[in-house]
Amino acid sequence: MREKTGGDWKTRFLAVVKYELLWNIRKKKFIGVITLAFTLATLSLVLPVALSNMSGGELEANPEYVISTGAGIGGLGMFLFAVVMVMNSISGEFESGTIVPLLTKPVSRTTVFLGKLLAAFITLLSAYASLFIYMTVGGWIIYGPQNDLYLLPLSLLGTIISTLVWMAIVLAIGTISKSSLLAALGTFGIFMALTISSPIISFFTNQAWIMHYLPGSGAYGLIQIQTEIQGVPVIKSISALTGTDSIAANLVNYARYPSANVTFYSLSSNPLEPITEPLSFILLRSLAVASAYIIGFLFAAWYFFKRTQVLE
Amino acid sequence: MKHAIETVGLTKRYGSLTAVNKLDLKVEHGTVHGFLGPNGAGKTTTIKILMGLLRPDEGTIKILDREIRGDTPEARLKVGYMPELPRFPKHLKGWELLDIYGKMYGMTTQQRGEQIPKLLEMVGLKGREKDLIGKYSKGMQQRLGIAQALLNEPELVILDEPSLGLDPVGMVEVRELVREIAKEGRTVFLSSHLLFEVEQVCTHITIIHKGVALASDTIQNIYSKLSGSSTLHVELATPSDIIVEALKKLSFVSDVTPDGNMLTIELKTNDDVRPQISQEITKLGGVIVSMNLKGQTLEDVFMQLITKTGGEK
Ligand SMILES: Nc1ncnc2c1ncn2[C@@H]1O[C@H](COP(=O)(O)OP(=O)(O)OP(=O)(O)O)[C@@H](O)[C@H]1O
Ligand SMILES: [Mg+2]
Repeated sequence: MREKTGGDWKTRFLAVVKYELLWNIRKKKFIGVITLAFTLATLSLVLPVALSNMSGGELEANPEYVISTGAGIGGLGMFLFAVVMVMNSISGEFESGTIVPLLTKPVSRTTVFLGKLLAAFITLLSAYASLFIYMTVGGWIIYGPQNDLYLLPLSLLGTIISTLVWMAIVLAIGTISKSSLLAALGTFGIFMALTISSPIISFFTNQAWIMHYLPGSGAYGLIQIQTEIQGVPVIKSISALTGTDSIAANLVNYARYPSANVTFYSLSSNPLEPITEPLSFILLRSLAVASAYIIGFLFAAWYFFKRTQVLE
Repeated sequence: MKHAIETVGLTKRYGSLTAVNKLDLKVEHGTVHGFLGPNGAGKTTTIKILMGLLRPDEGTIKILDREIRGDTPEARLKVGYMPELPRFPKHLKGWELLDIYGKMYGMTTQQRGEQIPKLLEMVGLKGREKDLIGKYSKGMQQRLGIAQALLNEPELVILDEPSLGLDPVGMVEVRELVREIAKEGRTVFLSSHLLFEVEQVCTHITIIHKGVALASDTIQNIYSKLSGSSTLHVELATPSDIIVEALKKLSFVSDVTPDGNMLTIELKTNDDVRPQISQEITKLGGVIVSMNLKGQTLEDVFMQLITKTGGEK
């Protein structure tokens, strides 16, 4: 990975990272999406309080609130973050012509690509980490002491892996088409197609297993856990999704209930004989699928970037 | 002789259009080499290939004795390049950009600290370096383009139309800058379609038209190779047929046309023969009021070469 430029590869690489980081944090789009995320987070914390006050009740303490919602960044949120983070990082440089002075510096295209990737990753990590902290503090204030907070980093990791899948897709489309608009719209198209087709496939065909292998939320199942409430044994149901968007929840659930099984009713042709898979298997599969997408799309983006001619 | 730039058989096609056609370009070390051609001649295309932005279809390239093949970042270490109408990220401040580019060149903090203020001063951006580039005018971006091309004290400076978009003062400054870089023994390769600019600063020129190099030599050699030659206008106090006849007999004179007090003397040579002419006229008792040599300019050469090939095609 060292360039034979006589200087230090790390310095050059970090220069690219800084170039990109400064660009990222000054983007209006990025500032917009961060503001939106914090506004939504605040609303999701405050609205229940307001509603229960209006109905004259008291909000019940919920020690599971933070661990079950994470930062509350859903599929759409991850998609939006991904688009905003990287829709311009390569195609935007071609569109504005700034790629010309950049690529004629003694840095290899691979270095530029990796630097941009790391900068996007750092920005994403900081944005998510602040959201997680905000939601944890807010959740604690509103719902009282919280369980299993030590699992939050796992949830953060999962959310980032899920977002990376979308980021890799945006980067690949953007690099190949050299159009930021196409990168955003193309990925949005994929996102919408998958979001709309998921329930259709799940409910009207018995081919829901396809959903395990597509980016997005995946197939829907239930985890049933034997637990006790005030000494009475009960069965608690937690919904579980198999797709790449659900890695955070699956990681947390696996850490808490390592031997849990997930039951799918829609996967089976006979609803009376549901299909059951271990949660560990579902988690590993979604991690493998996510990694395959991330590596595949990033490789495609890198390969095209490496070979592309700067006609602009 | 070692060359700063050397291409052999360089060819680049855009679909059916051959933008650069079997170009053999040789730029000697320590020269100021002008790359001259009308719009669409293939100058920018050639320069982009040299900088690794475009892949040639055929041919080989050597920059500072290093072969360019694929992405060759180490070849750019000692090269400064100013793109045609450069654009820089508008979210960065002028000095931030130079600082980051400096790191990419592997410059130390101290080197950057010395070089950047010096360059900002030189290109007239001092006082504006803390503004976002998005707030710069086109000419200011052009000036930033010059600064970043000189950042790493390059051995070879490639400038693609450096005066484009500059005001007249800026254009003069660019010329002075080029002369200064050349004085330090560095090589400058600059493309232009401004003949006077090239004429004033370049020691060598390559003329390119429709992707083909029509001439490549020192400026002097280009002039003296001219087929046509110069014209001398002489104004006499009183017209005289004897003088006209005597001048016609001189070996380097092809024709003399009198028009009142004015003589238009067609010369066979491009050398300055004014002393011989004035001697001849004075010998015959003539009195010279004024004398005006109109040598062939680069413009004449250029037009001659271009129209010749233009007519063939
Ligand atoms: N991206 C491109 N796609 C197709 N043809 C191109 C492209 N870029 C340049 N050309 C063509 O290649 C030829 C050479 O263009 P080039 O830009 O190298 O000329 P130039 O000498 O720099 O001209 P100018 O003085 O106008 O800058 C032109 O005919 C141009 O139309
Ligand atoms: Mg050009």
